[in-house]
Amino acid sequence: MGHASARRPSLMSREVDEQPSGFIRHGNNDYVANFSPSESEVLVNLVEQIIELLGERTDNHSDDPLAAMVGITSHDSPPDDEVLLRLLPNAYADQVDASEFRRYTELTLRAKKSAHAMSMRIDLKSSPDGCIEVDHEGANAWLGAMNDIRLALGVRLKVQENSHEDLEILAPDDPMRGVYAVYSWLGWLQESLIQALMDDSL
Amino acid sequence: MPKVDEKIDAEIKELFSSDKPWITIVWDDPVNLMSYVTYVLMELFGFTKEKAHELMMQVHTQGKAVVSTGSREEMEHDVARLHEYGLWATLQRGDQAL
Repeated sequence: MGHASARRPSLMSREVDEQPSGFIRHGNNDYVANFSPSESEVLVNLVEQIIELLGERTDNHSDDPLAAMVGITSHDSPPDDEVLLRLLPNAYADQVDASEFRRYTELTLRAKKSAHAMSMRIDLKSSPDGCIEVDHEGANAWLGAMNDIRLALGVRLKVQENSHEDLEILAPDDPMRGVYAVYSWLGWLQESLIQALMDDSL
Repeated sequence: MPKVDEKIDAEIKELFSSDKPWITIVWDDPVNLMSYVTYVLMELFGFTKEKAHELMMQVHTQGKAVVSTGSREEMEHDVARLHEYGLWATLQRGDQAL
């Protein structure tokens, strides 16, 4: 499993004036975080990419609208895209069972993941000052959406094959270095929200 | 009313009985945080923090853990909820090799 760094990873190279807090709990059911304009921008960007990714599958144009309405899709094959496959994985090892399950459930899964992402997007877009305040349900949506972003970045970073040590020492001009910085920062942010929520459940 | 053949009756019972339950398995994944997996198991299944932590550690150290058992339909529901939160989960018959 992955781990979040205990120290706040720096997202941008020049950030010295910010409090390293992440999400903290306010009262019984509120979770608050303050983001700089650049951090908000990065988060909006990433979450919009996830929303786009979870939209229509481009390898399928012939969905019966009635079938789509009740959550049935005509495609039952796993997505070709590696990132999409990680977000919408097979439910069975058996391919026939996996296809059947996918046909009846993939649309719903996409809709639920999109709802998490859109909830996070709206929270960011409606807070120009970067102060985000969510309740328990909103926090769960953020967790799901942040996790989907991390899963997507993890595929791109090949976290499966590359150890964290490998990724820590990427050359300054390696394009993956910036991706890894965002990935680490998101892990740290996600961890702060989980800790705030877990305190609640004690 | 036709009398239900006892043999068929037994077969139907067998089919719907929980004698051979289905299971939901969570697999290890290099991205999902340990605390996140624990939290999701608590939220979705109502496990205590201790129980959820124990299952998470089993996933982490042994590569997988059975997190729920029940009918096929129930397990499909559980897998769908785990997928919603990005955990890597599958379901299968309980008597199948893991």
